[in-house]
Amino acid sequence: MFDLLKQKSWFGRPDPLLQENKEFFLDFDQGRPLAEYSFVVCDTELTGLNKKKDELISIGAVRITDLQIDLSSMFHHFVRPESMAHTQATLVHRITPEQLENARSAEEVVPKFVEYIHGSLLVGHHLLLDMHFLNKATRKIMGGVLSNPGIDTMRMAQGYKRVQLGHYHEHNPRETSYSLDDLAQEYNLPVFKPHDALEDALQTAYLFLYLIKKFRKGGLVTLKDIFQSGRVGSLRY
Amino acid sequence: MVKSADVHEVAPEMAVAFFKNILPFNSLDDGTLNRLARHCRVDFYPKGTRLLTAGETDITHLYLIQRGGVKAFIEDDQGKVTLKDFRGEGAYIGALGIIRGTPANLNIETVEDTFCFLLPRAIFLNLMEQEPAFAQYYLKSFSEKIVKTAYNELRHHKLSKRSGDDLYLFSVRVGDLVKTLRKVSSAVSIQAAAAHMAEFRVGSVLVHDHEDEENIVGIITDRDLRLKVVAAGLDYNLPVKEIMTGPVKTVLSQSLCFDVLLEMMSSSIHHLAVERGGRVIGVVTSHDIMLLQGHSPYYLFKEIRGQQKISGLYALAQKIPEVIRGLIKEGAKAGNITQMIAILNDHILERMLTLLEDELGPPPVPYCWLLLGSEGRREQTFKTDQDNAILYADPATDEEKDIAETYFKAFAARAIGHLVKCGYPLCPGEIMATNPKWCQPLSVWKNYFSTWINTPDPEELLHATIFFDFRSGFGDRALAKKLRKHLNREARKQDIFLFHLARQCMSTRIPLSFFKNFIVDKDGEHKNQLDMKRRGLTPFVNFARVLALKHGISETNTLARLKALFDVDFIKHELWASTNAAYELLMQQRLIHQLRQIEEGILPDNHINPEQVSDLERRMLKDAFAVIERLYSVLDKMYPTA
Repeated sequence: MFDLLKQKSWFGRPDPLLQENKEFFLDFDQGRPLAEYSFVVCDTELTGLNKKKDELISIGAVRITDLQIDLSSMFHHFVRPESMAHTQATLVHRITPEQLENARSAEEVVPKFVEYIHGSLLVGHHLLLDMHFLNKATRKIMGGVLSNPGIDTMRMAQGYKRVQLGHYHEHNPRETSYSLDDLAQEYNLPVFKPHDALEDALQTAYLFLYLIKKFRKGGLVTLKDIFQSGRVGSLRY
Repeated sequence: MVKSADVHEVAPEMAVAFFKNILPFNSLDDGTLNRLARHCRVDFYPKGTRLLTAGETDITHLYLIQRGGVKAFIEDDQGKVTLKDFRGEGAYIGALGIIRGTPANLNIETVEDTFCFLLPRAIFLNLMEQEPAFAQYYLKSFSEKIVKTAYNELRHHKLSKRSGDDLYLFSVRVGDLVKTLRKVSSAVSIQAAAAHMAEFRVGSVLVHDHEDEENIVGIITDRDLRLKVVAAGLDYNLPVKEIMTGPVKTVLSQSLCFDVLLEMMSSSIHHLAVERGGRVIGVVTSHDIMLLQGHSPYYLFKEIRGQQKISGLYALAQKIPEVIRGLIKEGAKAGNITQMIAILNDHILERMLTLLEDELGPPPVPYCWLLLGSEGRREQTFKTDQDNAILYADPATDEEKDIAETYFKAFAARAIGHLVKCGYPLCPGEIMATNPKWCQPLSVWKNYFSTWINTPDPEELLHATIFFDFRSGFGDRALAKKLRKHLNREARKQDIFLFHLARQCMSTRIPLSFFKNFIVDKDGEHKNQLDMKRRGLTPFVNFARVLALKHGISETNTLARLKALFDVDFIKHELWASTNAAYELLMQQRLIHQLRQIEEGILPDNHINPEQVSDLERRMLKDAFAVIERLYSVLDKMYPTA
């Protein structure tokens, strides 16, 4: 029965992994201290930025528990795209065509990722984009979308800048660059190689750790405080 | 088909790379490092976060600083805080507590936004058990280890190899060079002594008291026989004591050849008696030492001395870096090297001015060529701007005054021109003998110093400090001595002057950005580079100068000043020892940096790019900066602002 549903998931109930995850977050308590949550910081590499045509080619993620990056639990997989036509992106990503041809299929990798992020909040830099492609993949493969609440480090950085500049100061976020590289430079974070999903995830994790602890020092001690402080994330994407 | 790594197999490359760069982890193999890295966690502590509290915190992890910095301090019952240490990137926190199984022994607080790798206590203890070399690192005295490894690293990795320069100056002791002792009684005739020398084919013979064979009273050399006897037509039958030189200068048999050579070159005495256990065991000559090596400072020294044309000195001066390179490779300490540079430069100057006097005729009044700033302190490295001045005796009449002015103006102009051709660049601040302001008789110079001391203007003082380090480079040393005496007398009684000097010294604070990326310059040509001179060496120089002036110490060399201060108990042994070590390390680093630039054909400077600095050097710098902090607190106590 379940097997049947899994094969033709788009007709009925989504994959049990997704279902479990959804139930986990149904009565999700945002009022606990930050250190009690598990976060997964992720980054995806894509064949391109066309939301309809392009697909995932790698997923990198690191776990944060107790507000520390846990190096014993990292996730990094290349994904074999259905079409190898869009290879111009591989140059940027430093992924060779051979690596992609030898990689596992999305059908194998995506459920692993869903399992990995179970019960964790998702964190990403400009997370919306990653979520779009992840949800596109889960919808197709697992018959549903991710229910994990998300936090966008880019919005966190904008919020932090507003606090730093003070409320009376007119500030146009467009005047400042909020790219991952530029923020890493600005905050003097250790720097990682760009355009590798795992390295970018690590870079984002450092940024997240930096910002969330700065927020915590400023008196935002629960997840709810963080969410309310400046639309840094939401429960749904 | 190559499968992608599974979740738990991903090795955190950045953590492995970090470990490979720091002691003692760099000694572990890749497999161990990979396992280690997978057990780590990364944490971030905003500036001002307390990590450990002395006597309270149980240490569950070894902290390794990836980015940022912390201070270690203790706090007594009254809440008085004593700073113990600063630790920056690559340093560890908590090892002692883990090894001893006790709570933290120091309070640790971040002074910068800080990222740390956390290595679980059990893993760390396991490593200590399995890897003896790793354990030894933590157990051995920290500073000693660092200094030694650092010197070796500097010597072996920083200089490219060149063949045929295995020199022995630093390994051979003069005791090993001494041949069988030849001596004669002071009562024997000159002829008998000469016969003795001829029989044993030696160029010199020691002379002992005619009643006590152990009591060496003098020496005669071939040169004495030639000049004092043959050329002068002296009676051969006179006793040797008539022509001997005595008493004989002695050195200890365990002295390194390098030190002895230095002694010979600075005193111009080429035969020294070697003493062991209170007895003279023989003679060592500059020739003996010279034979040890081909391309030596001594050859250069001889060539300079023998030069008959000023233009001949140009090429010789350019040879100095090559000679110094040899010394660095042999492991000479920076203090010795700068001394050697000073001696060679002094000889160039001496030869040049002697020849110039021949050219222009003798000076109308006695004068002294003053060396200022780093030259005055004998701390030049390769790039030495000219900082010099002329001090001459007060002329008796107006006429004599005019003559002196004209003479020294012409003299200075030529000397400076020649020095430029020798490769000593002009002083951009015009502090040179060609500037009429700095070519003056003694009375004017005394006035200059009195004004600086009695009515100190902080702005002016900033430029004047290099004058306080003057020494005589050539000419009538007595003039320089008189000026120094005057200066010492004035400075000691003027506390306000010393106060300004001390405060000025402390104004070069150690910015905390040191912990991020070193103290780098924020803009200009040397953006993001570390100014070794201004940030590193100058605070030591300033400190030594203030205290030397305060206590009337005439030395100008920083290490000599510190030694003198320690000898008379103005600074404590511990402070002296760590200051000495830190200063030498910094000088060493700068020398090597400049030597490399010369070899790459770049004009040497003081700016080090932190990206090219290894973990070890970073540590050394950190240690040195911690010493500066202590020097400042000494000054602060002496000259408090409130």
